[in-house]
Amino acid sequence: MSIATQGTRNERTVTEQRWWLRSLLALIVLIPAALAVMSYDSVKTLLGNQDFFAQDVAWKSKARFGGSEWQLTDLRAALGRSDIPPDLVPILVDFTVTVGEPDLQKLWLGCRIMLIDAADRHWLPTGAVSFRQADDAKTCVSAMFSGAKSGDTLKVRETFLVPKDATATIRPAVSVGSERPSFLLFQRPQD
Amino acid sequence: MFGGVGSKLKAWILGGIGTFAALAVGGALGAFDTLEKPVVVLGPGQPIETGPWKVKPLRAYTVDKGIYGLPLKAGEKAIVFEAEMTNRTALSSKNYFTTFQPGGTEDKPFVVLVRDATMSPALQPGLPERMAYVWAVPTGAVPPERFVVAVNGKIHKQRDNLYGVPGWYNEHLIGTVAMTVGVGPDTPDAKP
Amino acid sequence: MMRRVANLAVFLIAILLCYGMQTTKPHYADLTGPIPAYGAISNTVHTRTFDIGVDKVVFARTLKFDQFGKQKLLTTGGVWAIVTANLAATKDSAMVAAATWRGPDGLSYRASERASLATGGLPMALDPGVPAKTRMVFEILPSQADEAMLLVSGKLFAPLDSEARIALGPVALQADGMPEGTVETYELGKTF
Repeated sequence: MSIATQGTRNERTVTEQRWWLRSLLALIVLIPAALAVMSYDSVKTLLGNQDFFAQDVAWKSKARFGGSEWQLTDLRAALGRSDIPPDLVPILVDFTVTVGEPDLQKLWLGCRIMLIDAADRHWLPTGAVSFRQADDAKTCVSAMFSGAKSGDTLKVRETFLVPKDATATIRPAVSVGSERPSFLLFQRPQD
Repeated sequence: MFGGVGSKLKAWILGGIGTFAALAVGGALGAFDTLEKPVVVLGPGQPIETGPWKVKPLRAYTVDKGIYGLPLKAGEKAIVFEAEMTNRTALSSKNYFTTFQPGGTEDKPFVVLVRDATMSPALQPGLPERMAYVWAVPTGAVPPERFVVAVNGKIHKQRDNLYGVPGWYNEHLIGTVAMTVGVGPDTPDAKP
Repeated sequence: MMRRVANLAVFLIAILLCYGMQTTKPHYADLTGPIPAYGAISNTVHTRTFDIGVDKVVFARTLKFDQFGKQKLLTTGGVWAIVTANLAATKDSAMVAAATWRGPDGLSYRASERASLATGGLPMALDPGVPAKTRMVFEILPSQADEAMLLVSGKLFAPLDSEARIALGPVALQADGMPEGTVETYELGKTF
């Protein structure tokens, strides 16, 4: 106030000019920084719900994901069901999971096993068809609550219903809360 | 008015008057709020508007057997209060659990649609339905001869203070209705 | 003098402007509400997660269906509206969970819970490429049958997600006040 009333109004002193520039630079940095800080939680939530980055897993190989080793063991069509229209195919997907870190309820939270086809369509497990399970296969959610310990081997199986035209290109994928936004995309069985 | 006094003093005096005025108004409003209002006594069988509902208390009775699909163990008793309810709002609603509150209990009632014993269904706008409110009577307690229920209403707010969404808020007492308690489900409806 | 008048004018304009902005400000509930995708009964409506095409609308006085092996007859003080529709997921597996019948007076009827155990009711999981069919049951006032709008969404509360809004077209009323072509009993069978 006192400086402004003393000097001429239109001319800035060198110090003022310097501070003016510094403030401007600070704003250029601070505004985006403030936006980033404020939107951090929203972005985290958004990424935590999306499957963005596919991690390819070759056939017969294992991948560490959500603290455990995942391996695709089978992808097969279950034909010959009379209660399903002929242009739809039930698909069974089997994984063998070797449990590493045993806190599955936390690490596998929001576990999603999917089928993804060439047109990037996503299928989630269906409740419309079910098969009698001969072995002790679990679904992803029931595996979470199975109390499996480190070193245990789990058989995880999910059932899907897909149209016949998609069966040629579908690939199984796994996504869990602790790893999103990246997910495992398995290569189709090769033999 | 305060021409001769210093500006600082003037500000103090004005501020003081303002504070006192605010305190007086606030105090008076508070006093009005705490004033004991006479409780409105409502008649059985008469329609009452509570805001979201139009209700007509019809009858109250005790049962010692299960009713409307609700099971009751041997030796247990329950008090059943029936009312005709019409949803006055524009949306299906089951916002009726606290509409009737008997004195002496904080228990949430079981609410059943009398028409086909559906447990607490949403009631549809403009369609009157007979509903039964069932409270368990504590074992050993004698059911009262007169069943006094408070009838609660709500007001509609275009936007509520927290979320800014429209809805029914501020539950308040509309009045009480005293029903003669009959025995068994053959008790006739109260006539206005 | 001129300066004073100008100041006053600016002040009044500011007040008017503020008042105008306050009254025309969209409701928070509208801003965060669902995003409508409009359509008519004869065509398919595309929303973000699913496609829906209404097949037909039937009105009935009573409903009949099997619940836990027992035949159940559902009566109503209004009229039952049964809407069958074809559904398809757009790209990913999706849920369709909520349906509302909005009458010409703006009264909104959620799909009836009384018939929720019948085959084909919502919620329903959809898979891409797998055609599905739903049968939604509403209990409505007969006066709300004409020029109604069917609202279908993926979730019961779907803020900022798309919602199908299908105009169901004109329905004449019979002499007895029921919608034209009301059947006596509609059976909610296993297939439809």
